[in-house]
Amino acid sequence: MIKQKIRDFIFRELIFVDNPAQFSNDDDLLEAGLDSMGIMRLIMFIEDEFGVTLPDSEIEPDNVKNFNALENWILRHKKP
Amino acid sequence: MSQNNAAIIEGLNPADAFTLAMDQEIRNDGLAGSYGCSALELNRLPDIAELNHRIQCFFQQFPLANARLEQRGRRFYWCKTEQAPIFLNPHHLADSAKDETTFHHQTLVDLINECKPRETLQPISFHLISSPNQHTFFCRWIHPFCDARGADLILQYLCAEDDSERQKFGQPASRPLVNLQLDKFHWWQKLGLLLKGKRYIDRLDSLKSIQPFPIKKPAQQLDFAIHRLSEEQTQTVQALSRKACGLTGASLYYIGCLMRALQQLNPTAEGEAYCAPYAFNLRKQRALTPVTGNHVCALFAQAPRDIVKDRTQLFTYLKQQNQQVIRQQLDYAFLPLMWAGSWLSLEEYGKTLRLSYGSGEERSSFWFSDIGNISLPNDRFPGAKISAIFHICQVTSPPSLAFLTGIYQNRLNLSYNFVKPSVSPEQIDALHQRVIAELLDQ
Repeated sequence: MIKQKIRDFIFRELIFVDNPAQFSNDDDLLEAGLDSMGIMRLIMFIEDEFGVTLPDSEIEPDNVKNFNALENWILRHKKP
Repeated sequence: MSQNNAAIIEGLNPADAFTLAMDQEIRNDGLAGSYGCSALELNRLPDIAELNHRIQCFFQQFPLANARLEQRGRRFYWCKTEQAPIFLNPHHLADSAKDETTFHHQTLVDLINECKPRETLQPISFHLISSPNQHTFFCRWIHPFCDARGADLILQYLCAEDDSERQKFGQPASRPLVNLQLDKFHWWQKLGLLLKGKRYIDRLDSLKSIQPFPIKKPAQQLDFAIHRLSEEQTQTVQALSRKACGLTGASLYYIGCLMRALQQLNPTAEGEAYCAPYAFNLRKQRALTPVTGNHVCALFAQAPRDIVKDRTQLFTYLKQQNQQVIRQQLDYAFLPLMWAGSWLSLEEYGKTLRLSYGSGEERSSFWFSDIGNISLPNDRFPGAKISAIFHICQVTSPPSLAFLTGIYQNRLNLSYNFVKPSVSPEQIDALHQRVIAELLDQ
């Protein structure tokens, strides 16, 4: 569910790809064009949508490089 | 519809109107208007017939490219014209005894300073500057026609090898992105954003902007200097930028380095803080639409002089400022302001955009634009390879300086655009030495 919501947001607002369904959860979002402004917007979306606070110090490639990494990052900060 | 209205292709969107007001301001300062330009350095003379074919396709697919601006009341519209477009303008150095580099630079300077009424100006023009050993393809547009990302798409269009590929470029069926973004807000939210935007500007204006270059009237001419870093230097800059500003701050790193370089160059310049406007794009990354029109919103980076003096503190400050702006949705706060501004006269709007509410003087210390990674393939230009790309833009005077950055083929390109005589080439050389030292943290 988390991944799907992020996928919908990214493909609706931030990145154009010919066929989103073929973009896997391991494909590189930074290579696909996710830029600095996009990352900030994505973080705002995640914080609003999932009720988490993502520390600025953790905004690094390993956490935003693909959908799997993003989901793991959110889950680490999501209260049970 | 009257005959008169039948000539209208489309009206200017709020972001177009924003750039048109700046076009008027640039003209009022004695310069040519809001030209934006892309230059492609080619390894050989291109295939002229194929290039002409692709440009003709472009004009057929985008009628706006041969439209003229017309004012109706206070609003401006793109209107049809009977005049046939000029596809490719050749500029050839016949005398091989002349210095080729000087010829190319001077031709570009002539083109970016060509004064023409905007009502008769072809919105976009293509030029081929050639000499025995150097070849430059040059694209010049007036800013209401498109923004830098749109120009990038136009270059991609010209690099597309077949017509079916070119058909993928175009305009979305719906409204401009600025309007679509505005449509997401209810009227009370727009009002709230408008007030937010106003308060944001008031906060910026509580500090008098530093003007690094005193104005020497009349403004005479825009000139430019291009510096290209090596791949190794670019990697170093990227690593340092990541360290100083994090994953979200390459543009902020460039801005901060320029602020520090300006402060070192002229430590006694009047004012309290450096203030730099920059635009962010509303398009999705990698989207091939929309090509024409402006689809941007404005932001500011501002730093008080004392903070600029401390490198570590400056980048922390700029990064926090940027994050606050996005967290508070101040980036969208300018959208309703742009919409409201498009109903003002160009003179009123221009003053509102440029002058500080506090001091009544120029708000910008310099203009900045980061084109980012340029994705143009180097081997698709007809008959030639692209060896380098750089950008040029006109700027008001003051602040008389626009700093443009972009990365092509893993090399960071720095473009200094400056107005003579307020700024001299020697000052730009001195500034560049300091910028490089800051970028590489030497």
